[in-house]
Amino acid sequence: MKYTPKDLEENVNVSPQSPLRTFSIAFAKTLAVLVIIYFIIGALVDLIAPRVSVGTEKKIGALIDAAFKDRKQTEQELRLQSILDPLAKGDPALPGFDYKVYVQENQQVNAVALPAGNIVVFSGLIKEVKSENEMAMVLAHELGHFRHHDHLRGMGRQLLLLLLVSFFSGGDSSSQSIVLPSITTMQMRFSQKQEQAADQYGVDLLNKTYGHAAGATDFFVKMSKKDDWPKFMYFFSTHPYPASRIQAITERIQEKGYLAGKVEPLWIAKKE
Amino acid sequence: MADLIQLAVLLAVGYFVGSRIEKKHYRSIKEREKKLLGCAVVTGDDFLEDRPVRTSRLVSGSAVISSDYFKMIVGNLLNFFGGEVSVFESLLDRARREAILRMKEEAPAADIILNLRIETSTIAGKNSCEALAYGTAVYYEK
Repeated sequence: MKYTPKDLEENVNVSPQSPLRTFSIAFAKTLAVLVIIYFIIGALVDLIAPRVSVGTEKKIGALIDAAFKDRKQTEQELRLQSILDPLAKGDPALPGFDYKVYVQENQQVNAVALPAGNIVVFSGLIKEVKSENEMAMVLAHELGHFRHHDHLRGMGRQLLLLLLVSFFSGGDSSSQSIVLPSITTMQMRFSQKQEQAADQYGVDLLNKTYGHAAGATDFFVKMSKKDDWPKFMYFFSTHPYPASRIQAITERIQEKGYLAGKVEPLWIAKKE
Repeated sequence: MADLIQLAVLLAVGYFVGSRIEKKHYRSIKEREKKLLGCAVVTGDDFLEDRPVRTSRLVSGSAVISSDYFKMIVGNLLNFFGGEVSVFESLLDRARREAILRMKEEAPAADIILNLRIETSTIAGKNSCEALAYGTAVYYEK
């Protein structure tokens, strides 16, 4: 047999489809599956969270906030406690925790609700807050997180999703690297919704306790003045854009016809 | 947020650098294939002419080509849904053709290379592939 060399011009072994197109399609499909799973899990967790008993939630909480367990409150903390107590008594639907407020030395202007009844206010926030009503709004907002079982809902989602991700990817880190950020972004959207809901709850409770809603937006107005993030960055943040929060709270006040009373100045030792 | 930026940067770098390297490699492959077109390679053994053979020997060429970050991520996403993993096709195609070229380059003066075989294997997990081409180079009496 005689061999005749032939030049091959075309290549049938490589698909002509552009890799970017392949990527877009695969990414869109993955995202769609993740969104569906995320919503199913979210609905399940939201269904279960309010049914978890106070005792169980306390046990879960004990794993996290051991730092404040049985610590004696300082004078500053007792002052905050005196603002918190009437608020906590104002809503019988709140889970039956022993609500305690603690102050942590930290320049951040923030407060956090730890699972099972402890609220931690950063000293940076105390410096900023000028009136009792403003502080009450912050505390009422944190109570809103307890009322909505946000810890259980947040943890439940995180836990189930991580389980799912490692299950589907078989511990393969490279696919986790694309799946995890997508989930975190969705998590942020969820967190922002929780914050909005806690704001609404906070303003309701503030009005119920004080008879008016004065000072409800003061804190967020301060935040928006300090704020130097562009608005689009808030898409990836745990907290909503301050200006939208002010607007939502103002709308709530108008909708419910809450009165605009006078704010009480906050008498508190600024430093221990 | 930081995770997303990191991922986007890695994907972009993987894509642009990866496709540049791939284009360059294909240019070199095509050029050398044209140059070595005269060196005959066949998969069968019935191309042997009825002439006295001076010598014959085993020739082989192997090439290891690595995937880039972009291909790896897309490959993983496609693995989940199944179907054609088109991003890896060019990788294997390059490895096979490069291996055959290296084999030819080992015996440029051979009259014919008979019984060409190609084998592939994965290297370093599943991120690189090796193609090994081997055959029998035949030199006739002048």
